[in-house]
Amino acid sequence: MKKGSALERKENRTGYAFISPYVLLFTIFTGIPFIFSIVLSFTDMTYLTKMDSMHFVGLKNFIEMFKNKEVMAALGRTGLYSLVYVPLIMVVGFILALLLNKGVYFKNTIRGMVFLPYVSNMVAVAVVFKLLLGTGGPLVTLLGALGVKDPPLLLLSDKFALPTVAAIAVWKGVGLNMITYLGALQNVPAELEEAAQIDGANKLQRIKNVVIPMLSPTTFFLIVSSIITSLQNFTVIQSLTDGGPGQATTVMAISIVRSAFVKYQTGFASAQAMVMFAVVMLITLIQWRGQKKWVNY
Amino acid sequence: MYKKNKVTKWIVTIIMLVIGVMCIYPFIFMLSSSFKPSGDVLMKPFELIPSNFTLKNITGLFNSEYYNFPLWYWNTILMTGITLLLKLFLITLTAYGFSKIQFKGRDAIFLVLLAALMIPSDIMILPRYIIFKNLKLLNTMWAIIIPSCVDVYFVFLLRQSFISIPDSISEAAKIDGCNHFKIYYSIIVPLAKPAIATMMLFSFVWTWNDYMSPYLYISDIKKQMLSVGIKLFSSGQVQDYGAQMAAATLVLLPIIVMFLFCQRYFVEGVTSSGVKG
Repeated sequence: MKKGSALERKENRTGYAFISPYVLLFTIFTGIPFIFSIVLSFTDMTYLTKMDSMHFVGLKNFIEMFKNKEVMAALGRTGLYSLVYVPLIMVVGFILALLLNKGVYFKNTIRGMVFLPYVSNMVAVAVVFKLLLGTGGPLVTLLGALGVKDPPLLLLSDKFALPTVAAIAVWKGVGLNMITYLGALQNVPAELEEAAQIDGANKLQRIKNVVIPMLSPTTFFLIVSSIITSLQNFTVIQSLTDGGPGQATTVMAISIVRSAFVKYQTGFASAQAMVMFAVVMLITLIQWRGQKKWVNY
Repeated sequence: MYKKNKVTKWIVTIIMLVIGVMCIYPFIFMLSSSFKPSGDVLMKPFELIPSNFTLKNITGLFNSEYYNFPLWYWNTILMTGITLLLKLFLITLTAYGFSKIQFKGRDAIFLVLLAALMIPSDIMILPRYIIFKNLKLLNTMWAIIIPSCVDVYFVFLLRQSFISIPDSISEAAKIDGCNHFKIYYSIIVPLAKPAIATMMLFSFVWTWNDYMSPYLYISDIKKQMLSVGIKLFSSGQVQDYGAQMAAATLVLLPIIVMFLFCQRYFVEGVTSSGVKG
């Protein structure tokens, strides 16, 4: 017994030695910042570096935020962006995976083409898109040739900028969804589909009643991660439109960075970040509880 | 029946090829435009092989005083290299500790880390800024490297992969007198190579492409990274389309080349481990 506990102590020491560098860095650069961000949201801190002039103000930041029309509009735009992005990326990713899985020639080449945008640098790609969709760009020329009068400059129009940005984000991210679905589709037993075929189910019925239910765990995972991705859209928007034209694409992520680094309202920015965090938690929780009804494991 | 199948297969192939070409058209446009005189870029958007071929756009990038592309390139290479090396050691060691060593409080600590998976990193930008400032890390590449290294996600992924390696292998080595560190680097890490390769590939892509960290934490233009550099450049050279496209090509080139060679590993990584966005 004594010998055992000496060994145990040694095992403990080795264990801590293996994990302590990571845990230390994690504590300083994730743990403390997380708690700190909660604390900051209840203070009136301005300018990122002036800690001494900071006071606790209770819920003042949150109350101000819900009265602030600009922030509320940004929250609405974040919701709208997600409403375009999430359904689009889920449906397109699923259809592309289905088609690829049906059997095509050049499967790997096509898969690579659709996945390529995922690994590319958003800012570099944005430079290209601004040109493609801008004044005198190929899209405008093409639409003009097709007889569309005054073809819109998608990224510079109040009405179209937000959905366009979301669509470009889908173009960039859909390859990952497609590959995830493709992997899951390969695990759907062929016998199941064959059995349904023998029972007289046509193609659409087979997809609806066999494939989709079999894929529901993957769908659940992808919906949750797509929603979270759709809320972290700073880079996509900053690189394509800088939040413009006017405020047309100023979503929460942009608003938070502006409040913090342009207006120097640290406390107010932290309160906005907290609300975003609460939204993410809430959506995940609802999904988690709702999954029992439609996810088959 | 067989013939009908073949026809369907070709139809689907053609549809998918059209979608595929639409997906990569921006890259083709970019690549061919970088070798065109600026005037031709929008005049001939569908001309794939430039008729007025020029290298001026590319040489121009290396001769600008203010837009120091060679320096930004070097900064990004150095930063990405350090991140990958550090991550390789830090994450594998940690994953080994959490999967192959029985120590007190292990599962409790791991649970705390798992909970952190739920925290969107966006909400930490302000407190991290303040901490970097106080640790004098602001305006250094460490402000980009460290947050990337403490990413919980890959600890979780590699731990899963290490757990799937049967304990009997490491037990046998232990009886032969190997200590944990020896088992770690001579048995577990070599056996988990595919999962580690996935981590390295995705980390390379994410680090090389990171825009938010350098944008927020680096203010000195001489220490800047490519992602921010190309944004500055394209807003500064609004009319010089050829140069803009050449700069975009330069930023994307390493990633695209790497992707052409490693596509298989990306795909396998996603399907076997479920990498999130």
